[in-house]
Amino acid sequence: MNFLNKIIFFYYREYKLNMSGIQDILTNIIFFFISIFIFIFSIGPDKETISLIGVGILWTLLLLSSTLSLRKFYQDDFENGNLLIIHLNGFSFGFISILKTFSHFLFVQVPFLLSIPIACILLNIANDKLFYLFASFSIGSLILSCLGSISSSMNLMNQRNFLLGSVIVMIFSVPVIIFSVGIINMEESFNSLINILFGILLIVFAINPWASGLCLKLSLENS
Amino acid sequence: MLIVKDLSIERLDKKIFENINLSLSPGNITILKGKNGSGKTTLLKAILNLLEPSFGSIYWKGKLLKKNLYDFYNHVTYIGDTTSSLRKLTIKDNINIWKKFFISNINDAQIEIALKTLKLDNYLNKKVGTLSFGETKKLEFLRLIMENKKVWILDEPLSNLDEDSIGLMKQTFEDHCSKEGSIIFSSHQNPGIYVTEEINL
Repeated sequence: MNFLNKIIFFYYREYKLNMSGIQDILTNIIFFFISIFIFIFSIGPDKETISLIGVGILWTLLLLSSTLSLRKFYQDDFENGNLLIIHLNGFSFGFISILKTFSHFLFVQVPFLLSIPIACILLNIANDKLFYLFASFSIGSLILSCLGSISSSMNLMNQRNFLLGSVIVMIFSVPVIIFSVGIINMEESFNSLINILFGILLIVFAINPWASGLCLKLSLENS
Repeated sequence: MLIVKDLSIERLDKKIFENINLSLSPGNITILKGKNGSGKTTLLKAILNLLEPSFGSIYWKGKLLKKNLYDFYNHVTYIGDTTSSLRKLTIKDNINIWKKFFISNINDAQIEIALKTLKLDNYLNKKVGTLSFGETKKLEFLRLIMENKKVWILDEPLSNLDEDSIGLMKQTFEDHCSKEGSIIFSSHQNPGIYVTEEINL
């Protein structure tokens, strides 16, 4: 029971922290929408073209916007010693990475999920594709959060080049983009493609606590 | 309770320290003394099982620390050289989070007394980021009190504190030891606190 309470209050802490830095979340969303406008202005007023490549643009921008927040994934808690304090309170490093991944999903990815309908209007994406976008983004964003957890924990040991972590996330998110965009453009293969996406999620979800946990331990060891 | 036996640590083929022995029983205070870079923090990290010792072993309640790790963690709290309170939040928010997360049995009246003693009661609604270094350090001590654990491991707890605060710390140390608690802390200066064991690194 105590352990369950600790998990609940871990998320209470995350909620408080994210609400105190709500401007960071809003900046991400603003970046996302401004990038959509830039794409629209650069492509021109041709509705057909925008509609054709809209889903690809949407997914690319979702990926770029969510990598913006990766720097804060573990950095603050690492620097102020909270990672160690949470660990000393009975959470293994692997378990901390699972909790932080869900926290990233809740406080960073979910606002994007909620802003997808507006983005669809701007990019002239048909309403009937909205369900497929939601389904693919719900799974895809969790995959991105897991990849983000791994790259951010690796970055704790690399104080010089933050971009390296974003590059790692981008490289490994190529399959996510392929299958997520595929789901929307090939609706008849929805079941098989969503299963593949779900399979990728299970793989990264299994690797995440092991890889991130090890990186967190090593970075605390060498701090 | 806690025994460190012939502990040696090497990092990148460089010997940090060797053959360290210490034993910590309820009511004891152990001080680790040494210059900057002598390995005080490294020894504290090894005791917290964050570093693998090159030689030697650490025991908790008669068992190897690694085999009894979560019981040890249930009894230990740590103050490092950083401020663990969340800088974006107010003191009040930090206290609320600690109280819930640590499932602390310290009640509001006791917290109020501790805040008054630490002279932090007027800053409750102030963000931690706006406090001075000494005040954030005092807030760390409040966390120690709220966690209410038996073994305190403190890295340079007295640095950047004025004389009044050091006096307050001495009092807090004595109170903790009188309740069967024990403390290991590092310092590069002479803190003027009665200690039961002194380890020179």
